[in-house]
Amino acid sequence: MRQTLAIFLDAYRELNSRKLFWIVLLLSFLVVGLFGCFGIDNRGFTFLHWSLGFGINTAMMSESLFYKHFLFVNFGVKFWLGIIATILALISTASIFPDLVSGGAIELVLSKPISRLRLFLTKYATGLLFVTLQVAVFSVGSFLLIGFRGGEWEPRILLAIPIVVMFFSYLFCVCALLGLVTRSSIASLLLTILIWFVVFVLSASETGIDMWKTIAEERVRLLHEDIAKRETELEGLRTTEIAPGLANIGNTLLIASKSGSLEQRRKRLPDAEAAMRKVGWISLGMSGVKAVLPKVTDTKDLLERVILTVEEREGLMRDAARDMSNVEIDQEAEDVKVDMGKVQRKAFERKFSNPAWWIVGTSLGFEMVILAIAGWIFVRRDF
Amino acid sequence: MTTLNAQPVGATQASGRFAGDWVIDLANVEKVYAGRFRRGNVHALRGIDMRVHRGSVFGLLGPNGAGKSTLVKILMTVIRPTRCEGLFLGAPVGDKANLKRVGYLPEHHRFPEYLTAAQVLDYFGALSDVPRADRRRRGGELLDLVGLNNWADKKVKEFSKGMRQRLGIANALTSDPDLVVLDEPTDGVDPVGRRDIRAVLARLRDEGRTVFLNSHLLSELEMICDRVAILVQGVVSSQGTIDELTRDSRRYEIDVTSDSTGTPQATAALLAASLASVARFEQPPSPAVQSPGGPHGLSLRGTLGHQAQGVANTTPISIEPGAMGSSAATIKVASDDARMIQPIIDALRASSATIRAIRPVRSSLEDLFMQAVTDPTTGLALAPGAASTNKREAGNAARAGLATGREAAR
Repeated sequence: MRQTLAIFLDAYRELNSRKLFWIVLLLSFLVVGLFGCFGIDNRGFTFLHWSLGFGINTAMMSESLFYKHFLFVNFGVKFWLGIIATILALISTASIFPDLVSGGAIELVLSKPISRLRLFLTKYATGLLFVTLQVAVFSVGSFLLIGFRGGEWEPRILLAIPIVVMFFSYLFCVCALLGLVTRSSIASLLLTILIWFVVFVLSASETGIDMWKTIAEERVRLLHEDIAKRETELEGLRTTEIAPGLANIGNTLLIASKSGSLEQRRKRLPDAEAAMRKVGWISLGMSGVKAVLPKVTDTKDLLERVILTVEEREGLMRDAARDMSNVEIDQEAEDVKVDMGKVQRKAFERKFSNPAWWIVGTSLGFEMVILAIAGWIFVRRDF
Repeated sequence: MTTLNAQPVGATQASGRFAGDWVIDLANVEKVYAGRFRRGNVHALRGIDMRVHRGSVFGLLGPNGAGKSTLVKILMTVIRPTRCEGLFLGAPVGDKANLKRVGYLPEHHRFPEYLTAAQVLDYFGALSDVPRADRRRRGGELLDLVGLNNWADKKVKEFSKGMRQRLGIANALTSDPDLVVLDEPTDGVDPVGRRDIRAVLARLRDEGRTVFLNSHLLSELEMICDRVAILVQGVVSSQGTIDELTRDSRRYEIDVTSDSTGTPQATAALLAASLASVARFEQPPSPAVQSPGGPHGLSLRGTLGHQAQGVANTTPISIEPGAMGSSAATIKVASDDARMIQPIIDALRASSATIRAIRPVRSSLEDLFMQAVTDPTTGLALAPGAASTNKREAGNAARAGLATGREAAR
């Protein structure tokens, strides 16, 4: 315990000596302060006591939802903590392992009565300490802000601390492994950001493919419905007693026309089903790839699940579906029109459908594997 | 900067902490670095046998790349040995708990620049599992010991190389160790600092601690070490006390001048004739036998012919004449027994030769070192560095090297 505390104290001293640590901390305060300057009223956004007269107003969402979702979750967590502060944290912590294994420094610590694995894991934990402090400052500040400005004292906001630290740990384990292998802070930092980008692109692609799959499934479903409806209609026309003469000719023409349309849809159905199967396979493959990778986006989205109430979430889904309902994606030539609002709603539901244990479990599984590799290298290597 | 003082550190007397006599007792230590990308393996250590006595100052010498640092790093668990038998402080090498009793100063060590000197001792002391109260107390004492008491609150980044080295020595002592391993402790330290460090080392020995020194500075090792080992190309070429290692090289040298004004050969012949009653030189005494030992490649060799306490004396003697035109010469008697040279002095005084100086001589550590790193068959210096072979040759080379190393260690 004495050794562990010494390593943590040393990590604090190291952080303390780095200007970047204090700069990021100051920026976190500034961002929270900036949040406090913004608000909404019945006309739109407000800045301090000025009403800007545009954007979201209190008729569209409550003041507390504006702070919780719009500012804290979407901007504060997903943008500030999830991107900018994470990059700054990686810059600050990328040198931990290259510095540890550098010549002249590693001998001093390896010659101490502490096991290599414990040393490695403790150093890893000190890297997470940086982010914990940063996120704690931001979250506590946001909690107070939402309480005072939004009038809602929501302690679940503080869950951002473990969630963001967990999200950062997915990246930091990669950074630690690369730092040990390359012994270079710059190389490990750049490669970690590259891997993060690849994971992000895969995650975004999966979302796109899921929407594509939903559209294909919806199209097949609509075609089946349409075909069944037309068949029933045609059957009705055929069984109807028609008087001879012009009416009969009209009826015959109508049947011919309906039969043509029906045939056309029947011809389209195999293609639509083939497209649905194809996109299904692609989606399955993508899910398989993503299963073994850390769920960086999904982990950040977990915060929405715990902070938003069912009603708030339902409202956001409804708004998103409404915004998309008038959108048509290259389906002018199609006989059936897919409702994009419905597609959007399904995408929204899917976002919340993956169980939290799956997101956290598979991501931590990835982290454990990477840490096991890095730990094995650190334990086995000659310095 | 103040000098190191020799006041007690308040350390526990280390004497009597061990049941055994050997602090380090190693056998067959091998280290092979596997080559990458079809490059050959590197045999850094090829079967080291080494013993370090408790309470002694032990010096490890060797040219660059001989494997000194590799051996030290194996002891300190920084490097994993390919093979290692024996004990380190009574436990197998690699036992982490044992390192509580060891202080270590690595070569080219690098302390965190953001820490002050006091924080360095506190941090590394805590890593050695030293209680906080002891760290506080010893920290001040150790900084005082190495002359950094006025720099306790200054950050390491402000320190000169010599000051960092002093801090490194203080750091090696934070855990009140039984064994102190110092890799090039005087590297970058000025002469005054070196003297002070030697004083600290002597004090550590007086306290009963064992000091394991790894250094290139042979004269310093000679001054402080009780025992040394010379490592060449991954094997111990010789080890023992400096007395043991230099015993065969001890001799007396007598500088004389003769009445001869001729050639060096004539001077040597005249002196040989003067010593005829006490020594027998190779016949004929003239012309002189050519020998690489003489200053001009000319010397006379023989043995003392008199009886010493009833035993036939075969002690080698040689006469090495001086420069052309000079009547000076040096008579060398390969013995450190002063009684052996008394008949020679008598014979010289009975002749016309003048005795100018008589001195006991022995080889220096540097002479031993140079001898160890010279190929006896070619007379050339051995190639520096460890042996490198491809994988096919690796096994044979390792076995051959191991046999050579064991033979040399014996």
